[in-house]
Amino acid sequence: MKLQVIRQRAFWWTLSTLIILSGFVAMGLLWNQTKLPLRPSLDFVGGTRLQLELDCTKPNNCDQPIDSAEVRSVLAAQGLANSSIQVVGTEQNALSIRTSTLNVEQRTNLVNALTEKIGAFATNKTQIDTVGPTIGRQLFSSGMLALLVSFAGIMIYLSLRFQFDYALFAIIALLHDVLITVGIFGILGLVFGTEVDSLFIVALLTIVGFSVNDTVVIYDRIRETIQINGDRSINDIVDDAVNQTLGRSINTTLTALLPLVAIFFLGGETLKYFALALIVGFAAGAYSSIFIASTLLAWWRVKSGQEIPGTPAKSLDVASGEG
Amino acid sequence: MGRQRLILAFIALLAIIAVVVIVQVPLRLGLDLQGGSQLTLQVKTTETVPKITPDKLEAVRQVVENRINPNGVQEIVVQMVGDDQLLVQLPGVSDPSEAERILQDVAKLDFRQQKQGTEAQFAIELQVRQQKQIELETARQAGDQATITKKQEELKSSEQAIGALFEKTPLTGEKLRNAYPQPLQGSNWEVVLSFNDQGAKEFADLTKAVAGTGRSLGIFLDDRLLSAPRVDVQYAETGIAGGTASITGGFDTKSASRLAQQLQGGALPVPVEVVENRTVGATLGQDSIQRSIYAGLLGLGLVLIFMVAYYRLPGLIADIALVLYTLFNLAIFDIIPVTLTLPGIAGFILSIGMAVDANVLIFERTREELKAGKTLYRSVEAGFYRAFSSILDSNVTTLIACGALWFLGAGLVKGFALTLAIGIMVSMFTALTCSRTLLLFVLSFPGLRKPHLFCPGLSATPKLQTEKSL
Repeated sequence: MKLQVIRQRAFWWTLSTLIILSGFVAMGLLWNQTKLPLRPSLDFVGGTRLQLELDCTKPNNCDQPIDSAEVRSVLAAQGLANSSIQVVGTEQNALSIRTSTLNVEQRTNLVNALTEKIGAFATNKTQIDTVGPTIGRQLFSSGMLALLVSFAGIMIYLSLRFQFDYALFAIIALLHDVLITVGIFGILGLVFGTEVDSLFIVALLTIVGFSVNDTVVIYDRIRETIQINGDRSINDIVDDAVNQTLGRSINTTLTALLPLVAIFFLGGETLKYFALALIVGFAAGAYSSIFIASTLLAWWRVKSGQEIPGTPAKSLDVASGEG
Repeated sequence: MGRQRLILAFIALLAIIAVVVIVQVPLRLGLDLQGGSQLTLQVKTTETVPKITPDKLEAVRQVVENRINPNGVQEIVVQMVGDDQLLVQLPGVSDPSEAERILQDVAKLDFRQQKQGTEAQFAIELQVRQQKQIELETARQAGDQATITKKQEELKSSEQAIGALFEKTPLTGEKLRNAYPQPLQGSNWEVVLSFNDQGAKEFADLTKAVAGTGRSLGIFLDDRLLSAPRVDVQYAETGIAGGTASITGGFDTKSASRLAQQLQGGALPVPVEVVENRTVGATLGQDSIQRSIYAGLLGLGLVLIFMVAYYRLPGLIADIALVLYTLFNLAIFDIIPVTLTLPGIAGFILSIGMAVDANVLIFERTREELKAGKTLYRSVEAGFYRAFSSILDSNVTTLIACGALWFLGAGLVKGFALTLAIGIMVSMFTALTCSRTLLLFVLSFPGLRKPHLFCPGLSATPKLQTEKSL
């Protein structure tokens, strides 16, 4: 089987655009509801999250599942009526509460009141997250800065090792992957209320690192073929390069996805959505390297009169690396 | 041949060292994995302290550490983060409210006057305290948690007994303007105190009251006696006037600057606020780590199987290289040392993916060369040679992303970037050295020089006779 990426490029470009657009639509709808494009966890907006689990070693403590209405009335009595409450766990004996930022006194009062009404909680299974609003902003802006700086760094490196147009389209492919991942989480946020936390930013950065890998491998093959066989059409060269590296692209993505899928389905709660973001992003990364980065490069080379790479460029100011 | 054996022996040696390191040194787990509480403190400016200088921050760090870990026994870490934040790590603490309360109180430094008729009692209590401190230190070195707790309690009651011998005066830390260490003759140091006007007056009163009596004035930090200097009889008339005083007696550089810092920190009315609290119950942390690690291991097992099923003999070698890779990585985590957090583990798992990728690139290339009709040995060599630029470029670009994360990211992100970067560098080594040497070593056995072991489906044309260059 040989992939005709160049001939089918209109299809792939449309497909990508559609996925990204539907992500944007979802984020737009979310924006309408919450004034934010994604559902932020308290990592970004601040607040307190308490995860409490009933201490089942005590007699009769876990006999009944937790009644969320009762929890709500306790919260209302503490002046925390507009908090979100979730009863979790297979036995419905754990509780996840998200409130505005509580200081230590407020928190202790709340836990005491809950203990009185609901039952004793196991301290060694408690999870407390309190994030001040400024910390969240710090985290977000430092993450975004890191993303931009890594884009710039990758672009410079690829311009030096390849050529400027390779670097540009590699970055476009990266943006594509980031947008697809963000968009999918917009959709998940809209439909299932899935939140993004600080690990999501880590995931985006990882996706950038991994996906540029894929693109570079294909570009490397294009560059190599041009050096050996410069008198062929760039369209053919790109088609060949994609097909020659296809086995590697699929196998690498597959092997990277295997542990992630395992973590998503079987791993701890904390890493679940991190794994999902990586799965989406890695898949998008492999896809964009094969179908987007390569075809964009070929399209640009043809359009700018460099269809046959072996002949000197007609009127181009692209910096020539060693390519 | 000889050179390859040498490299092989070197790799084996490294592997043994790695195993020894891993067995000897346990991995350091972050609080999200082992359970515990992590607090971020924001140090706030006030009118009198408009800017938090590194010195001030260090002073605050000292105060925080003294309060939360007064005897230095617990494994508590207090780090400075950025310009005005502190990170407090309390391993194994599931309920941090006590710590939060202690931390948010401004340090209480005060000066007290020894009660009359307590001179003999005071000398005894001081000895008791010293004894308890020694016992605690011994228990701490023995690592006996029960004894440590017991001795801590005893030390605490000893501190209280000492406190009972003093009465409070109006002079408190807010009236201290500065405290700094100053050298005397030889290697002796003193700590110089200076008060504001109100404090100077109160200090004069206090010193007047105790001068020449044989009783001490007590300097207390958070109700613990820091220092109990006596005042010379010459000051009995007027007290020590002028608002400055010095504490002498048995200080070296270190202890003098520590006391100065404690006094300054105690005197500094900089409020701190807990702006972030991440607490994971001990059991919860272990559950989460176990599930994720099992899941990750399962995924890796599948990867290992896939490699053999798809790439045959080279796949098997890649698997060996991957096991070596994991050993080296874990050993490096131990040596640096890297504290593993959840994102750190994610970075590690991802770097394993990258390590697999390097092997996949090489073997795919080898297959292509084989299909193009090259001999086995040439194909393997070409596979490594030609895949190199891909591996280098793709790894360098990922390293660039890691660098950005490391320098710009916050705590979580840093851990991820670090393990990923270490992983990438180790994978370059294992893919290019271990896999290669092992593969070439395997090729030295004629029985294994069969192209179909490398590329199933390739018509087994015997092209190997000419290869004598091994």
